[in-house]
Amino acid sequence: MIQDIDFYRPGSLEELLTFLKDHGSNVKIIAGGTDIVPGLRQKASRFSHVKTLADIQHLHELKTIEISDGHLSIGSCATFSQIEANALIRKHFPLLSCAAGLIGSTQIRNRATIAGNVVNNAPCADSVPPLLVYDAIVCVRSHREDYTVPLNELLLKPYQTRLNADEVLTGFRLPVLADGYRGEFYKLGRRRGVSISRISLAVLMQLQGGSIQDFRVASGAITPVSVRLSGIEEYARDRKAGSELFAQLAQQLGNEIIKITGMRWSTPYKLPVVQQMFYQILMKLNDESVTG
Amino acid sequence: MKFSTIKFELNGKPVEIEVPPAMRLLDILRETFKLTGTKEGCGIGECGACTVLLNGQAVASCLLLAGQLEGTKITTIEGLVHDERMNLLQRNFLECGAVQCGFCTPGMLLSAYALLQKDARPTTDDIKNAIAGNLCRCTGYKQIIQAIQKSTESLSDPDQ
Amino acid sequence: MKKEFSTIGKHIIREDGWEKVTGQAKYGDDFNFPNQLFGVPVRVPAVHAKINHIDYSEIISDPDLIAVCNCSDIPGSAKIGPIRKDQPIFCSERVVTSGDVLSLLVGPSREKLLQLREHIRIDYEPLPILSDPSKALEDDAVLIHPEFKTNLIVHYPLRKGDIEKGFQQSDEVIEQTYTTQCIEHAYVEPEVVIAIPMGKHKGIKIIGSIQNPYTARRIVASVLNWPLTKVRIIQAELGGSFGGKDDTMNILAARAAMAALKTGRPVKICYDREDSILESYKRHPYVMHYKVGFSRNGKIRAMKIDILADGGGYASMSPFVTWRSVVQATGPYEIDHVWTDVRAVYTNNPYTGAMRGFGSPQPIFANESLMDEIAIRTNKTPDEVRRINALRQNSITASGQKLTSHDVNLVTVLDRAVEETGFSKKWRSNHTASCGPHTLSTGSEGNGDDASKLILKENDFIASSDLFKKGIGLAVSYRGCSLGAEGVDAAAAYLSVQPDGSAYLVSGLAENGQGLRTTFSMIAAEVLGLSVADIYYLEQDTGVIPDSGPTVASRSTLMGGAAVKEAAEIVRKRLEKVLMDHWNTTGAAEFNFSDHHVYATGPPNQRIRFPELCEMAFQKGISLAALGWYAGPRVDWDEETGQGPAYFTYVYGCQVAEVRVNIGTGEVYVDRIVAVHDPGKVLNLLGAHGQVFGGVTQGAGYGLWEQINSLSGQIQELNFDQYLIPTSNDIGEIVPIFIEGRDKYGPWGAKSLGEPTLELTAAAIANAVRNATGRRFFNLPLNLEEIMLGRKLINKTAMRGSHV
Ligand SMILES: Cc1cc2nc3c(=O)[nH]c(=O)nc-3n(C[C@H](O)[C@H](O)[C@H](O)COP(=O)(O)OP(=O)(O)OC[C@H]3O[C@@H](n4cnc5c(N)ncnc54)[C@H](O)[C@@H]3O)c2cc1C
Ligand code: FES
Ligand code: FES
Repeated sequence: MIQDIDFYRPGSLEELLTFLKDHGSNVKIIAGGTDIVPGLRQKASRFSHVKTLADIQHLHELKTIEISDGHLSIGSCATFSQIEANALIRKHFPLLSCAAGLIGSTQIRNRATIAGNVVNNAPCADSVPPLLVYDAIVCVRSHREDYTVPLNELLLKPYQTRLNADEVLTGFRLPVLADGYRGEFYKLGRRRGVSISRISLAVLMQLQGGSIQDFRVASGAITPVSVRLSGIEEYARDRKAGSELFAQLAQQLGNEIIKITGMRWSTPYKLPVVQQMFYQILMKLNDESVTG
Repeated sequence: MKFSTIKFELNGKPVEIEVPPAMRLLDILRETFKLTGTKEGCGIGECGACTVLLNGQAVASCLLLAGQLEGTKITTIEGLVHDERMNLLQRNFLECGAVQCGFCTPGMLLSAYALLQKDARPTTDDIKNAIAGNLCRCTGYKQIIQAIQKSTESLSDPDQ
Repeated sequence: MKKEFSTIGKHIIREDGWEKVTGQAKYGDDFNFPNQLFGVPVRVPAVHAKINHIDYSEIISDPDLIAVCNCSDIPGSAKIGPIRKDQPIFCSERVVTSGDVLSLLVGPSREKLLQLREHIRIDYEPLPILSDPSKALEDDAVLIHPEFKTNLIVHYPLRKGDIEKGFQQSDEVIEQTYTTQCIEHAYVEPEVVIAIPMGKHKGIKIIGSIQNPYTARRIVASVLNWPLTKVRIIQAELGGSFGGKDDTMNILAARAAMAALKTGRPVKICYDREDSILESYKRHPYVMHYKVGFSRNGKIRAMKIDILADGGGYASMSPFVTWRSVVQATGPYEIDHVWTDVRAVYTNNPYTGAMRGFGSPQPIFANESLMDEIAIRTNKTPDEVRRINALRQNSITASGQKLTSHDVNLVTVLDRAVEETGFSKKWRSNHTASCGPHTLSTGSEGNGDDASKLILKENDFIASSDLFKKGIGLAVSYRGCSLGAEGVDAAAAYLSVQPDGSAYLVSGLAENGQGLRTTFSMIAAEVLGLSVADIYYLEQDTGVIPDSGPTVASRSTLMGGAAVKEAAEIVRKRLEKVLMDHWNTTGAAEFNFSDHHVYATGPPNQRIRFPELCEMAFQKGISLAALGWYAGPRVDWDEETGQGPAYFTYVYGCQVAEVRVNIGTGEVYVDRIVAVHDPGKVLNLLGAHGQVFGGVTQGAGYGLWEQINSLSGQIQELNFDQYLIPTSNDIGEIVPIFIEGRDKYGPWGAKSLGEPTLELTAAAIANAVRNATGRRFFNLPLNLEEIMLGRKLINKTAMRGSHV
């Protein structure tokens, strides 16, 4: 089914960087292949120039998950099965492990990587909203330089990031949160098993004495790329948690989304629903913090 | 067309093949090795009919390319004919009526097998999740879930 | 015959099971032959177009292309169809649907052919597209097949009583329109066929995922202009069919046969999922107007029904499918005055044909929705209003048929389901709750396209305790068994008992994954006192056993099973005769065949091992091979009035659905379905349960989200990423319950189950959603948008995610 394509299997990350320097533009990195392989089959234009696939799944250095100096590091090739099962992530970044567990099927999660999900940058990429609310920083390497960049700056438009063809995403760094945060990853699909998000939301809320200290929310599948909704976040801070505020926030969410997307075919359904479910999530988080 | 030499382990035996590197594992199994127990239902990772084990984990062989196989261990339904756990699952599939047309069955069995290898006492929800990526149009899944459940009970119950 | 069964009605493991669980079972694509070539279809990227010229010059001398087959290679019939010969094997001047095929590229590598296909240049002119069936009969509508002068495929009227009088007698009238969507069978195995030329005199052998080998044989023979005997069809293990591997497969078989004869080599056509969804036929979308008049006490006085079925580009099985609709459109109710019109029309949409359910799921959704509305209007519960109108013993159906020969168990199945679920109480309390303050969160306001109206108002936000609403709903049906008055109904089975007491069995009906081989083996085993393991079921082969009609209409147990029983009884009689001679008994002796023995009950009180008896018969030169033949009783139909005994017997079912609806998102959770069916005698309990689980799950997918959208005739959902069928996580508990009504037809009174299980579920769910939300939905599927907005939203710029 798949056109003539060459494979390159680097022995190390360094080797890969050199290879990308020399052959950059016609090379595509392949990790789990769960986006690339169906994409090639369906003749997706974003893969039409690909002559060589550079396989990185076997590079163990890209698979580690660990916490050190207050940050969680996740290697780019960590699969969603690994992420879902990882105890550190469950404890400190539950929204991410929840999202990981809701991606595709077991077969997909066993292959699909977090970097592949981010670099593919589909509007419905489920790991992105949690990564955004956790202020994820992306680690990038090329033969030219190593640098880090906040995730929100990396995401350009649907199915596109700012990564250059000779750059490799090596991992993510997530600062461990202070105490007192509660949060939820919400995903709405058309069916219960193996479903692409119609709407997703990641919400983090830190409450103290009934008022909101910190508030973070990121959208998925309802905006062209996932974004943090900073207007709402700022408005919420230092206000008293409760249904009145939550209704306001939900309405603001509706207004912000419509500003970003305009009227689309799906808006009459999605816009009211995302407001309603955002409100429901906030009420639930608030109730949980009251009942402890 | 370019060809590459790829070495991996198939059903417990080391193999070496000369194939185009972007050839799908599914086609390698069915065409090169004539292992036709692995089926194709969609070619895009949605149906699970092509499920095989890669280093013990369930994966879709329609999404794996030859170039990604180097050094891996692949197991298909044919590779587990003498496996006790698989035989138990197979018997229970038949006894519970979990097989109708049978096209989804090999993939379904491998998903169930991978689950039980990881967790011998899964909950019903674990079972449903483990096979959510295996579409079955005939059975409505109930008897499949029952068969997997039964295989957990009889394995962990020494009296059986 | 003894009353106690030893095999029938028991938990029996499938005869073909072990091959399937070990991956050894051979499906179409698992067959390969030396020297085999592949065939790849050529299509034009249009829905309705005039083809001017097809230019193969760029590829014609490519070594990877061995031949191109098109309509000029056809020696016999260029067009085929079960009733109307309107579907070309290869299109030449025109295409009328997006799946139409112009030619077949043949060569040694399928992949290479797919690449070559990109280099064919097709010069075509798009023609106006007719995609709305309700415009098909307008005067200025484009004609899909101009030779028929109209887009009308078929019109069935049914007239009973005096419809005007009926409405005059009514206290109230409800008039309503319902629609159902186009759906795909979604068998997990896509289509495959291989044709192998056998040399000049032996003809051609065809192996494939073929549902109806005899139909395939007839089509191939007529296309090749050959006698039937020179075409041998062997059915490979079938990876699901549900009525779907018929017409499409017959055409593929004919194309493969042509290519094989042209090249002198075996030719395989194997479709991928996209090919399969694009080209195979679908379930008919219906538009249904119902007008019903009833008394204040809930008794229906008159029903007027107007149904329009979208046949798509070809007539296919539309005349049969819609005929079942006209018979059953009122639902299982005794109504004095009925006026029904059912029409099927051509459009440029994907063509529609047979699918499990076969013209019943659509009207059941409409008439059962309507019954619940009558209940609400007359202040009764849904079960009460059904009891008031239900068909009972000796009732007269809409087609004027008196139900006498079998137990009319409609009220029995209804009562059982109602009792099992505590229906009435739950229904009343949900109904009261649904009339409360919180209903679906986007009201009529949300229907506009003005963005500011889509911002929720303060009181639109729902208390979390109110987010989920519970609902319970039921639906009942009656279903005519087998083909009915529109088809010739007979079936054959061949049984050959060997000298050691084992036996070969094969039937003219086909194993489509439903477990027919097991059930038939059980029947033969029961009659002869054997176990299923003693029966060796032969490969289905048209060269071995007579044409038994199609394996459709849930007729295999009823018709094929009766033929098997007949064959087994013939052999049994012969064995009894041998015993009478051997034991010197008179004609009055009674024999009991069980546990591999034959016992004389009464004097001389002897017994003999079955194998010993067979050996004895063999030594005496008695044939233990027999052909069983079963022809259905006469049925009748008057085309003008739609009156007559349409089917010789019926089955009855009632399903109750319990759901929760998230009124914030429109998600419907199916928590439990109780399915009570009277399929007659249950022969194979394990298989029967499997039919219920599978049918209900398919029915739920139909009710909730499955849909083929063909915007201007182009299919949007070409693979399982877009076409969503239920997964293991989607449907809650399913409880099968059987009531075994008596019937003088069928083996021991066994009738059918496969289709009844599917036809009720969507209607029951829709009624449960109404009960939960207080709102009635008129258009399937009840997907997220339908529930929230009361309409479908369609992405007109749809691009499959990974195309970007
Ligand atoms: C059946 C099915 C169901 C799915 N369900 C979901 C779902 O529910 N939710 C969801 O979010 N997604 C889903 N997906 C999409 C997919 O699984 C994810 O996007 C996956 O995470 C991609 O990772 P991968 O490793 O397979 O990427 P690949 O396909 O290998 O690569 C994807 C892209 O990322 C690039 N890339 C990968 N790694 C790197 C790196 N280290 N540096 C630079 N570039 C890199 C590649 O070049 C390519 O452009 C589903 C896919 C399938 C087939
Ligand atoms: S064929 Fe691989 S998942 Fe369907
Ligand atoms: S048994 Fe037919 S698809 Fe599962």
